[in-house]
Amino acid sequence: MVGLFGALWGVVETTLGTYLNVIFPAFTNTFFKGVILGGIGVAVALTGRFFVRKRGSVILFGIITMLLKTLSPGGSRIGPMVAIFVQSALMELVLTLVGDPRRWAFVLGGALAVGWNFPHKFIMMRVMYGRNMVQVYQKLVQDGSQMLGLEPSMALLILGILLGVRLAVGGIAGWSAWALGGAVAERLGQRSQAVTE
Amino acid sequence: MKRFSAWGYLAFTLWGLGMALAVKGWRLGALAVVELAFGLAWSREGLGPLRRWRFWVLLAVAVALGPWLVRRSSLTGADVGLSWLGLSVGLEMAGRALTLSLAFSLGLSSLSLSDLVAVFDRLQLRGLGFALGVAMNLLSSLQEMARVTFETIRLRGGLRRPVVAMRLFLITLVSNTLRYGDQVVHAASVRAFEPQRGRRMRVSLQRADLWLVAALAVSSVACWLFFA
Repeated sequence: MVGLFGALWGVVETTLGTYLNVIFPAFTNTFFKGVILGGIGVAVALTGRFFVRKRGSVILFGIITMLLKTLSPGGSRIGPMVAIFVQSALMELVLTLVGDPRRWAFVLGGALAVGWNFPHKFIMMRVMYGRNMVQVYQKLVQDGSQMLGLEPSMALLILGILLGVRLAVGGIAGWSAWALGGAVAERLGQRSQAVTE
Repeated sequence: MKRFSAWGYLAFTLWGLGMALAVKGWRLGALAVVELAFGLAWSREGLGPLRRWRFWVLLAVAVALGPWLVRRSSLTGADVGLSWLGLSVGLEMAGRALTLSLAFSLGLSSLSLSDLVAVFDRLQLRGLGFALGVAMNLLSSLQEMARVTFETIRLRGGLRRPVVAMRLFLITLVSNTLRYGDQVVHAASVRAFEPQRGRRMRVSLQRADLWLVAALAVSSVACWLFFA
């Protein structure tokens, strides 16, 4: 099951990621790409956790997805792999602390995981290019002001909206994962009931 | 073309990542030359990023942005002008990105699925190796299943109600994934297979790996002693 849900997340990353790379090239704004890929990936991982009720399973999904991305043609890129690993670690942390899976834990885990995209940019820019925080901050504000149509002087509002949207999308992904898990379990239950009859 | 075992390539990746983060200035250029030489000799597929135009655009953007990121030592004295310090910062940013990407792709792109499974076996993570094998083998089936599901929904006009279509798509995808899981477990159990037992895959350390590790260690010490 760990392999299967890891593969499913891998399918999202490799296929959807390729399409999104074409639509939003890497050197343009990565906001939409990160939010879409992060949201769907988190939903898949948390749906997997709904069925694999073992501690550590989400981080294993993340490791499998990361390795699949490495093995895929042209996939050995450090940024997305670090993001996948940290997202899975954050979801795992929340679910481990909570214990039994609950809907609000899925929402919180999803929100933190997609919200990670925000500091990820700061950290990877620092690691990859050696840019300091102020320069990344300025770039984020410029991109955000163009996208939202706000003045760059409203920097805090822009950054707040960018972070808030990520957290909201992650929360919705977590909520959807819980609902999706329930719907699938119901469907599979109905199927096995029909077979028994 | 492969000269080293998985351990050798992993060692090179770790060394490359460490050096790329530790060194500065022109030494990044020297590191890039070493990595290129390694790639040409023993890991041609790892040079893949250099064949992609997007990668070069990213590096060019880093170099081009440099003079505008650091304005204080502007040659012209104007607020926005060309600065040598900025240009050197841009070059260093591009150099670090190049060396990090190469270190990563040169080592990891040379590893096959069986190499990774063997490494996990050696690290006492047998279940993870088995899961990775299952994932890799089912990746194309899952992709095909996702494509067929999407096309079915589209041909039945489901895209006119996107939310319902997405729900149907995801439910079908996850249900079928679980069904595949049952099949894998069933196939494994009828063969009396257990991931924690059975034949272990081996990846043995070769003499060439030891030479590589020694060469990397010597070059790191030399870099630290003479060019610090």
